[in-house]
Amino acid sequence: MTPYLTSALLGILIAGGILLLVRRDHLHGNFAVWWLAFASAALLLGLVPGSVDWLGRTFGVAYPPMLVAALGLSALLLKLLVLDIDVTRRERRVRRLLQKVAILEAEMRDLRAELDALKDSRPARTPSSPVTPLPASRADEARRAAV
Amino acid sequence: MAPTPSPAARRLVVIPARDEAPTVEGLVRGAARSACCEVLVVSDASSDGTAAAARRGGARVIELPLQLGAWGATQAGLRYALRHGFDTVVTLDADGQHDPACLPQLVATQARTGADVAIGTYPERLSRAKRLAWRWFRALTGLAIEDLTSGLRVYGPRAVRLLARSEATLLDYQDVGVLLMLRRHGLRVAEVPATMYPRGAGHSRVFASWLVVARYMAQTTVLCLARVGHPRLPPVDAAPEATP
Repeated sequence: MTPYLTSALLGILIAGGILLLVRRDHLHGNFAVWWLAFASAALLLGLVPGSVDWLGRTFGVAYPPMLVAALGLSALLLKLLVLDIDVTRRERRVRRLLQKVAILEAEMRDLRAELDALKDSRPARTPSSPVTPLPASRADEARRAAV
Repeated sequence: MAPTPSPAARRLVVIPARDEAPTVEGLVRGAARSACCEVLVVSDASSDGTAAAARRGGARVIELPLQLGAWGATQAGLRYALRHGFDTVVTLDADGQHDPACLPQLVATQARTGADVAIGTYPERLSRAKRLAWRWFRALTGLAIEDLTSGLRVYGPRAVRLLARSEATLLDYQDVGVLLMLRRHGLRVAEVPATMYPRGAGHSRVFASWLVVARYMAQTTVLCLARVGHPRLPPVDAAPEATP
């Protein structure tokens, strides 16, 4: 088995795996594009045997396979960095959301207490309609605005 | 047009608290009496009934579902203040090291000097290690502030608006990052000597163990270095923006 065949097989396997993951909805589109590009590069290097040597000559590397390894490593490092940037962005959003949820929860608590106080001050309703109908709550609003 | 409410009606005391149930009720009463305004306790995912104790003391309470740290809780308070029409926010620590009795002086100083932020400091409380650390950060940033971490502060309207923004959300501590952000936007900071007590039930979140200290120092140093030569931005105006 030649190293080119290995590379091509690897490329096909990765590409197949990615497509399967996207198909099963385990991988978001944006991430899939990156990994598919990665797989295509592996496939290309395998299918065009001269490409590695050509790359090595072009960039003046004495032992071309090292260039491939270095490029692969750089691509992975870049991917990790992008991942951390994304995690940072998410962390910011999560923190904002947590703050907002806590604030809204407090406001809801206040509103509920206000509503209960209003219900208590109003004459008792008929037992058949425990849920306050919409027109009544509009009247509540009007009353609050008048206070 | 409705008459403008008094400054005290537009002032809110924000107390970030994590597991401070034994002390928070008394602190809320003290702060409300001393600052003559409403008090908001931000419970930072407390598990010991801090929120209930604060309500007993007469405070408004918001409860973070997950821990965000002292600054994250304080910022939640700033956002609450904006949504509810408060424009000045007074913060103090819940662990009992800040005496609510010094709030009137701090508030008065902020109002008199027109500073955007007034910080209550007590440099003598600092240990040698802390002094050394602060000197290091002052040298890195050029900030001329004695006590970088003091949680006893008055934030004026412009500071509240600025610090409620999402740019300030990823800061982990209220110290250097916040102060640099204030400076970057041309806001003025004044320091006021204040009395502080040794901590009550709580303990320092920053200077808890050597590992935490090392992490804090490394994180804050990186933050300082990344901000070197950061261009100044136009100051925020006090006009209301969209609800945060």
